Amino acid sequence: MAKTDTNYPITSLAKKGVVGHLAVTATVLILMMAFGIIMLFNQGGLITISPDLFYSIMTVHGIGMIGMASLGGAAIMWYFLSKYVPLNPKVLMVNLVLSVIGIAMILIAAFVFKFSDAWTFLYPLPSISAKQHGMAGAMFFLNGVLLIGVGFLIMYLEIGRKIAKQYGGLMNGLGWDMIFGKTDKHYGPPAAVVASTMVVICNSTAILAGATVIVMSIVNILNPSIVFDALLAKHLTYAFGHIFANATIYMAVVGVYEILAKYADRPWKANKVFLIAWNFSTLFTLMIYTHHLLMDFAVPKWMLLIGQIFSYANGLPVMVVTAYGALMIVYRSGLRWDMASGLMFLAMFGWVAGAVPAIIDATIVVNHVMHNTKWVPGHFHTYMGLGVTIMIIAFMYYYNKAEGNRRDHSWDRISAAFYTVFFLGLTGSFLYAGKISAPRRWAVHLPEWMLSDIVGGISACFILAATISFTLRFFANVKYTKTANTSEEMIQETTNLMKKTS
Amino acid sequence: MYQQLAWILTVILVFALAVVFLTIARKTARRVDYQPIQEKGYRIRKYWFISLVSVMVIATFFSLRNLPYHDATAAAASGAKVVNVEGYQFYWKLSQEEFFVGEPVQFNVTSMDVNHGFGLYDENMQLLAQTQAMPGYTNVVDFTFTKPGKYQILCLEYCSVGHHVMVKEIVVKEKGGASDGKN
Repeated sequence: MAKTDTNYPITSLAKKGVVGHLAVTATVLILMMAFGIIMLFNQGGLITISPDLFYSIMTVHGIGMIGMASLGGAAIMWYFLSKYVPLNPKVLMVNLVLSVIGIAMILIAAFVFKFSDAWTFLYPLPSISAKQHGMAGAMFFLNGVLLIGVGFLIMYLEIGRKIAKQYGGLMNGLGWDMIFGKTDKHYGPPAAVVASTMVVICNSTAILAGATVIVMSIVNILNPSIVFDALLAKHLTYAFGHIFANATIYMAVVGVYEILAKYADRPWKANKVFLIAWNFSTLFTLMIYTHHLLMDFAVPKWMLLIGQIFSYANGLPVMVVTAYGALMIVYRSGLRWDMASGLMFLAMFGWVAGAVPAIIDATIVVNHVMHNTKWVPGHFHTYMGLGVTIMIIAFMYYYNKAEGNRRDHSWDRISAAFYTVFFLGLTGSFLYAGKISAPRRWAVHLPEWMLSDIVGGISACFILAATISFTLRFFANVKYTKTANTSEEMIQETTNLMKKTS
Repeated sequence: MYQQLAWILTVILVFALAVVFLTIARKTARRVDYQPIQEKGYRIRKYWFISLVSVMVIATFFSLRNLPYHDATAAAASGAKVVNVEGYQFYWKLSQEEFFVGEPVQFNVTSMDVNHGFGLYDENMQLLAQTQAMPGYTNVVDFTFTKPGKYQILCLEYCSVGHHVMVKEIVVKEKGGASDGKN
């Protein structure tokens, strides 16, 4: 095992917070996957639900999956970051409580008050819907999302404040002191700190943008005579939605850095190239939401060109540094594959594989004939399902192993194989549907689009079965995890376990 | 064409990625010193980085030469037929619904309520062009039909529970002829 820069113990309350986040993540994930299957089978003509219900389910599926990935990513980030930075675990619990209340409000909005304006709730749609169906649904939904945003913002403020205190300024968390030659150190802060700093900067910005557009929508609902610019609202919506969704993987990737380095017994240090890559990732992630506006011809052309060019560039840090680093660190390392290490490695493939159709679609001439087709969910299901979600599942197994000495079962590997193969089937069906121009977010499909829906729906059934298996195994094993051991003890336990298994 | 290109490129690149990851995953059993791997890895990375940047620069150069954004001067010079398109929940209203092959058309697209997406589909339900229909803004799409037939305009931005019924058929005829191309 490699020596780590462990300084602080992970408190009992922090562990409870981490497990709480993972429990909510897994529960929401299973529910949202079931909703996804219902939508695909309805589109494929195998079942029939009303369009109203379809779009309510679609709304919940979208926001639920983003929320799930954010909660799971936050669990990973907090768990590893708290080794290097003394975080207040009460803040993590506050985030959990506010998120659960927010989720409940969103479910009430959709299934009691039939809110169905999609998770992007593009202004002025909530106001128009409120006039037609009453304002309760929109109010529950918008305030629910706002509450979740407040929870995350509080968490990011705590993380940002502690990183700034520990490293002499927030930007030193991104290694600015080293990049600009203000220190003689050869390496910057641990990768977990670098990634967390990036997420704090990006997601705090995203939440403020989201809160602004939510407040605008609420004001417009309460007083329709107060109107806002629809294009400004769209900018704010995607500045929130794109960045927040994108940053889920930057939280979860902390687990890749920590776990692969530990298993490979090799250091994953933040050298200058690494730090520069993460600084550019921060900048690009903040900028490239404009690729969602490529078909809004009223947007200034220079901004749209930025959307294409910097979307291309945003692929570089992951392809040249993070994914490439993952390949290097495991190569000829003597690493033993288990659920944690194997899935973290697989997730790096999922991340890069998901970036490919995204980069292609960010090309303006391609976007002109593929935007808002099923190509788009094809990209982000790869990114989210084979990237972020796999990282979260890998962390669940790591947590139970590190904290509770629990071992993998052969059934876990079978579930992982099923999940991977059928997820490729699901994303393949989405991308193919995009190729044949099937529009996204249509409750009812034409016969020529239905085959891809059925293939996707059947694939999703196997994915759901595998996910239920992962979740049951997590819940079954998490009770064995201790609640008060230190990080040093955890490392020792993992070392002993590795020796035993080898 | 772009849809086919995107699909083929994605399949090839994702397959290549899978091969790389699987190959490396199979080469982890024997442990060797990390230092030489890092030195060699960083050397290869330089070329990998230069290759990726080169591909991106070339793709940018060629793809930006033919942007779909409205060129008022070119449209005026071609004498394009101007068509006003308004999106409503859940229907399209066009100032003209019949067009001719070879005739440049300028669609001025807006919305009278919420965001919609103007998606122009051919008879094979292949997406040919699109823009967003936004309240308070007019987005202009220039298009010249090359084949006669019945085309569809589908809504491509979610606009509430009738989103999927927001379809409008338009007809394109040969100049002075019928929509099926048989004069």
